[in-house]
Amino acid sequence: MIALHVPGDSVLHRAPAGIKLLALFVLALAVSLYPHDLPSLGAAVGVVVALHLAALLPPTTLPKQLWQTKWIVVVMVATQLAFLTPWDALVNTVRVVSIVLLAGLLTLTTRSEDLLEALETGLRPLTRIGVDPRRVGLTLSLAIAMLPVVAGIAARVRDTERARGVRLGPRLVVPVLVLALRHADDVADALTARGVD
Amino acid sequence: MTDAPRRRFDTRDIARIAVFAALIAALGLIAPIPVPGLVPITAQTLGIILAGMVLGAWRGAAAVLVFELLVLVGLPLLAGGHGGAASFVGVTAGYLIGWIPGAFVTGLIAHSGRGRIAAWRVALGGLVGGVLVVYACGIPVQAAVTGLPLGAAALTSLAFVPGDLIKITVATIITLALWRAYPPVFGTRRHRHAEEPATAQPVTR
Repeated sequence: MIALHVPGDSVLHRAPAGIKLLALFVLALAVSLYPHDLPSLGAAVGVVVALHLAALLPPTTLPKQLWQTKWIVVVMVATQLAFLTPWDALVNTVRVVSIVLLAGLLTLTTRSEDLLEALETGLRPLTRIGVDPRRVGLTLSLAIAMLPVVAGIAARVRDTERARGVRLGPRLVVPVLVLALRHADDVADALTARGVD
Repeated sequence: MTDAPRRRFDTRDIARIAVFAALIAALGLIAPIPVPGLVPITAQTLGIILAGMVLGAWRGAAAVLVFELLVLVGLPLLAGGHGGAASFVGVTAGYLIGWIPGAFVTGLIAHSGRGRIAAWRVALGGLVGGVLVVYACGIPVQAAVTGLPLGAAALTSLAFVPGDLIKITVATIITLALWRAYPPVFGTRRHRHAEEPATAQPVTR
């Protein structure tokens, strides 16, 4: 599966996906709600760096992740300097960037399959209000299987239209939709035939 | 007229939801169209609006939810190859979450015509669901995350409005074309439109 996960064997890699998801949630909330001063801001950055070191990722990872947040930084600083003090702009930007980096670390150290499984487990209490975690799991894995199929259909339609000399435009989406949704109905028939209701 | 709230999704619904989630991802692969002086238009939100217009409220919102869960667990499916939990804590988090009720409201209005799909209802659904609802979720979160006043946050998102209007127009044209090409997908029951040719007549313009 194509994913943003980087394999490894650190403590962070081995921790259960559900725990990491919860920890991210708690950390993000703490960093968001705390009224920051210089030491607390430094602590937030320190935690982010320390966790990245603990994950034993290639040394270029953190700079690369940081570089990916460049547009957040540009947009935030530009709009905030217009309305807020430079200090507030700095606090807000550091706050958001560190949370984004923490969330990125979760993605780097956790396989998508494990997170999907954690989600399915997390949904179990919702069984009482009519949510079936297994059907949610089926839909999610079916969607993952459909990604290359739909991309293939789109490529085929594009080639066909190009060969016919049809101008490429939004109408190209219509045959892709029809073929993809027909395929969905075939898959549904196959599932029904195999006893999945 | 759309799928009932308490009704369980059958296999056909699940397959269509999964395929539409994959379609939203595929639309994210299309290179953004640069607009001089404005924010580039990505086709991904076109997929969100289409999900509501074509699948209706419940299945459309489910398709968007499935797509976003895949993004959450780390697949790089957002336009530009982004993904991961980071997308749900940044400045744009509110817009991402807003896509779910956005698709729902779009579907609710677009499918409100008792089995018939009319251009004005589809377009109105896109406008209310795809723009108003999404912005109503996105702007407060953007303001809270960046610490900007609400009005200022609303002002910065005005840049997206022209692109959104183009997308609603395109999505409406696509939906009406699909209604002519493959009507069964708009209903929940299998051959409803095939059995009732009178209601399968497309109502356009």
